[in-house]
Amino acid sequence: MAAEDMTTDGPLESATHPRTTRSAVIVGGNRIPFARTGGAYVKSSNQDMLTAALDGLIARFGLQDERIGEVAAGAVLKHSRDFNLTREAVLGSALSPETPAYDLQQACATGLETVIGLSNKIKLGQIDSGIAGGVDSASDAPIAVSEGLRDILLDLNRAKTTVQKLKIISRIRPKDLAPDAPNTGEPRTGLSMGEHQALTTAQWKISREAQDELAYNSHRNLASAYERGFFDDLITPYRGLNKDSNLRADTTLEKLSTLKPVFGKTLGSEATMTAGNSTPLTDGASTVLLATEEWADAHGLPKLATVLDGEAAAVDFVHGKDGLLMAPVFAVPRLLARHGLTFEDIDFFEIHEAFAGTVLSTLAAWEDEEFGRTRLGLGGALGKVDRAKLNVNGSSLAAGHPFAATGGRIVASLAKMLHEKGTVDGRPARGLISVCAAGGQGVVAILEAA
Amino acid sequence: MNHSQPVVLGEMPSLSKLYVNAAASAARRRLLGGSSGKTRLPAVSHEVRGVRADVENLTAYQHLVGETASDTLPAGYVHSLAFPVSMSVMNREDFPLPLLGMIHLKNRIEQLVPIQFAQELDVRSWAENLAGHRAGTQLDIVSEVRAHSSNDVLWRGVSTYLAKGVFLPGIDKPGSPNGATGASEFVPPDPTALWQVNLDAGRNYAAVSGDFNPIHLSVLSAKALGLRGSIAHGMYLASRALADVGAVKAESFAWNVTFEAPVFLPARVALDITTVQADSGNWERSDYVAWNPRSGRRHFTGSVAALT
Repeated sequence: MAAEDMTTDGPLESATHPRTTRSAVIVGGNRIPFARTGGAYVKSSNQDMLTAALDGLIARFGLQDERIGEVAAGAVLKHSRDFNLTREAVLGSALSPETPAYDLQQACATGLETVIGLSNKIKLGQIDSGIAGGVDSASDAPIAVSEGLRDILLDLNRAKTTVQKLKIISRIRPKDLAPDAPNTGEPRTGLSMGEHQALTTAQWKISREAQDELAYNSHRNLASAYERGFFDDLITPYRGLNKDSNLRADTTLEKLSTLKPVFGKTLGSEATMTAGNSTPLTDGASTVLLATEEWADAHGLPKLATVLDGEAAAVDFVHGKDGLLMAPVFAVPRLLARHGLTFEDIDFFEIHEAFAGTVLSTLAAWEDEEFGRTRLGLGGALGKVDRAKLNVNGSSLAAGHPFAATGGRIVASLAKMLHEKGTVDGRPARGLISVCAAGGQGVVAILEAA
Repeated sequence: MNHSQPVVLGEMPSLSKLYVNAAASAARRRLLGGSSGKTRLPAVSHEVRGVRADVENLTAYQHLVGETASDTLPAGYVHSLAFPVSMSVMNREDFPLPLLGMIHLKNRIEQLVPIQFAQELDVRSWAENLAGHRAGTQLDIVSEVRAHSSNDVLWRGVSTYLAKGVFLPGIDKPGSPNGATGASEFVPPDPTALWQVNLDAGRNYAAVSGDFNPIHLSVLSAKALGLRGSIAHGMYLASRALADVGAVKAESFAWNVTFEAPVFLPARVALDITTVQADSGNWERSDYVAWNPRSGRRHFTGSVAALT
């Protein structure tokens, strides 16, 4: 570098603090209402629902026959025939068939990771527009044949002669015919996600009352958001549903307090997790339209927010060093530090409510002085999240949680909230998203009002 | 014990024949009454040379116990490779205790050097440490696995068995049940894993390990031997615990397990693994304990520790 450059902050600044010249903006989003499993979408496949959400987005933003830079989406519970789920949904949509697509899977963080991945491509100049999304069906879940039968069928496929084939077929036993349904157990521990969270909930001494209150607020906030029409330009009705079917606008703290615990019943401490303060199995799909500012302007489309940055983390949960769903606790301070931000600089906190206990354990860890010092490497506690800024339009406890679709739901809603808020003290309004995922993972992101 | 000249067996003994033979000698003993009359362990070791893992069987074993199908033999798989040789020692005419109905009390394995699946191995087993137990007579079966035609011991295992209700003349019972911490004092910790152990776990482990002891195979065959149902193989449970300890462990390690209440099939087994780190931050040891999540009864405890 030439010496004279040292005197100006231009070239030196860009060399030591690489800054992208392009930003990735969120134009808007669309999802179908989320349905409790076995409900309105009982016979709809992942491809059906993703296509429905995509077509709603196309209609809202006039994208018919548009060649989008890339579409990225995924599902957690996936049939083997859906190896190209997103591309097939694109081919079945009104987008140009020349729109490329790829599938992504990062458990419940799938949806948020598609947003981060595509916004990175936009920032890098690889694409000018992208659609991120996710879908999941617990109703139309894949069921596999038993390991025994699968083994026999694969051998049968490799057999050449009839005698060999008959010999292989004779190995089939009645027990081989029992199907193998997916479950929510962690492969390495055999504990269900709820049982894992029950351990964490007890470790952080989260009370039943606090969990029920968080669930109650989720339903109340989501109901009032529907009431004032917040979701009018975020949701397209599907299969007769125009609202998330899990929403109980009339639920009360009293009703929630009468529910029996379902997780953590064999632990030493009191079981506090109920069907009311845990998310139900849900079907649904969501999409988010991302673009450069220029692309949005050229198409006469809105710019709600920008994707500032994202961060992933993982915890060593297998032998209980940390709770299964606690990875965002570590991702958030890293992301904040990278941008020199604190909780004071955040106007909306969107913490995915896998279980009320997950959100409350996360907040408790951030408020804990010792945890901040010994585990987060900070001078003390990370900070206290202002409850008035938390999940203000409801979250997964009320809306439901079709695993891969949750990220898109949160991103589109938060982008709209930030756009409505505009600026705070002369800076763009800021929102933090935190999503926990199976396998001890977590993905978080910061959005800013555009 | 010094075994300068082992008895070299021409081939790996057949476990099913050994079990049939054991059943026959048990019947003979019942018919003739009393014990074998012998009070000493055979002062001889058995050896099989040029043993090699069957790769298909190895993969099935690895999948069954929750190991990744890597090219390195799991320490528990080497135990099952050596098991027929151990059984042949206990099946000798001059072996003083009845083989059938023996209870596996504890097991210690030292994996000194990792063993690759294609390696040719020599396996030697002998019996030692015949001793009184408050409930009968116990002994150790020691096995050593060497690289073929070499003196380098790669793996060493000591299995302690109890012949319940068999008291040999001249071998005193210990004064009190020392060392055993009462199961009543056990307070289950939070589990780190929960296993669903199905009814066919005994048959499945028998298929990969060759250990067709009838107490593991079916309710009927177990009842014939006086149990109320079939029980899981101790080494199956311990091997799953070893697999759960996972990749954190060192290349050379000692793996201990002490069995307590048997696991009647089918069962849910709760497990807790506690990792102990050295001051350097390196892995030093993983301790495990398993129990019945319903009753809180302890099934087994053990550890995997780095060998230095």
